[in-house]
Amino acid sequence: MAAPGMLESDLSNAVTLLKNLQEQVMAVTAQVQALTKKVQAGAYPTEKGLSFLEVKDQLLLMYLMDLSHLILDKASGGSLRGHAAVLRLVEIRTVLEKLRPLDQKLKYQIDKLVKTAVTGSLSENDPLRFKPHPSNMMSKLSSEDEEEGEAEDGHSEASGKKSVKGVAKKYVPPRLVPVHYDETEAEQEKKLLERAKRRALSSSVIRELKEQYSDAPEEIRDARHPHVTRQSQEDQHRINYEESMMVRLSVSKREKGRRKRAHVMSSQLHSLTHFSDISALTGGTARLDEDQNPIKRKKIPKKGRKKKGFRRRR
Amino acid sequence: MNDTVTSQTRKFMTSRPLQKKQIVIDILHPGKVTIAKTEIREKLARMYKTTPNVILVFGLKTHFGHDTTTSFGMIYNSLDCKKKNQPKHRLSRHGLCEQKKISRKQQKERKNGMKKVRGTLNSRRIINFKKK
Repeated sequence: MAAPGMLESDLSNAVTLLKNLQEQVMAVTAQVQALTKKVQAGAYPTEKGLSFLEVKDQLLLMYLMDLSHLILDKASGGSLRGHAAVLRLVEIRTVLEKLRPLDQKLKYQIDKLVKTAVTGSLSENDPLRFKPHPSNMMSKLSSEDEEEGEAEDGHSEASGKKSVKGVAKKYVPPRLVPVHYDETEAEQEKKLLERAKRRALSSSVIRELKEQYSDAPEEIRDARHPHVTRQSQEDQHRINYEESMMVRLSVSKREKGRRKRAHVMSSQLHSLTHFSDISALTGGTARLDEDQNPIKRKKIPKKGRKKKGFRRRR
Repeated sequence: MNDTVTSQTRKFMTSRPLQKKQIVIDILHPGKVTIAKTEIREKLARMYKTTPNVILVFGLKTHFGHDTTTSFGMIYNSLDCKKKNQPKHRLSRHGLCEQKKISRKQQKERKNGMKKVRGTLNSRRIINFKKK
């Protein structure tokens, strides 16, 4: 029968394994006894260390104890079902698993500490060495004064002291009163010129020149009305208001005059022969359009004005 | 209405609290004078399937040089709503309300006369009686 043959070979294996086990157990016991002697003698003080690591130590020890208890029971033929040590083991295991991410986060710090403890000094490219130097934050001027002071003979100390004192004085913010700013004539003219230049640049003459000389493809746009004047915008606003409120607004005399003038200007053949004003670029005299230079009237205060109702241009 | 007159409605809005619908009407009438309000009402009645007496048309404005007119319209749910919610001058234009025509001069004379008198009518009568 094969069974006794197998058993015999297994037996020799088992005997060798058991011998190995015995040797190893003896070695381990010797080490553990040495450790316990050292710990009892107080060679490993853990008061000032990381409590996290101490907790881990204790947990691991408890785990080992429970495990050995289980092995003992099993080796003497007992069953492990419902053993109290199993539950304890499970509990300790879960806690250890939860500690693992913390361990990872602290790994860097711990490694550095250990290295410092071992080597006794920080490494060269350790970022901890690069701490801020407040002395570098002193203003350059004061440092210059100091240097100049030092160059002179006999006055070095006094000036040095002065500059140091100046640095140490409390900061007093300057007392400034807001003053009304009136644009000077020159600035107003400059502004008008700027505006006229911008308008001239976007006029039809310049645009056509650009199209002529540029390589970009020609764009044909379906524009509503190329000249959106102020009057037309106001008319649109008025129409929107009337239709949404279902009322008819009255038109003042001034408004009528403005409309008439705008209508007359656009209905004549004026726009055919008179192109937009590019005198700002060529340097000639400017033609004034009512649209571009509206007469400024005094502003009525916004507080008294009601938001409701149609806001007319005075 | 003839075929030459076309109308288009815009900005339709229903107002539940005021029990009405309001619209903006654009009317195109080439070669004609401005269309009368009654005709516009009839047209709207046909469009919205109601009687013309609940419809109110006002604010007609013909664009100068063009053959279009823009007007506002309101379609009420019932005649009562219309009577309640509209000002008297509009209702009188539609024949629903009679407005008293006291001349302006008379109104002002009355007002100035009232300035000289103090107290209500009854109290004045009592005072006069007591004086006598």
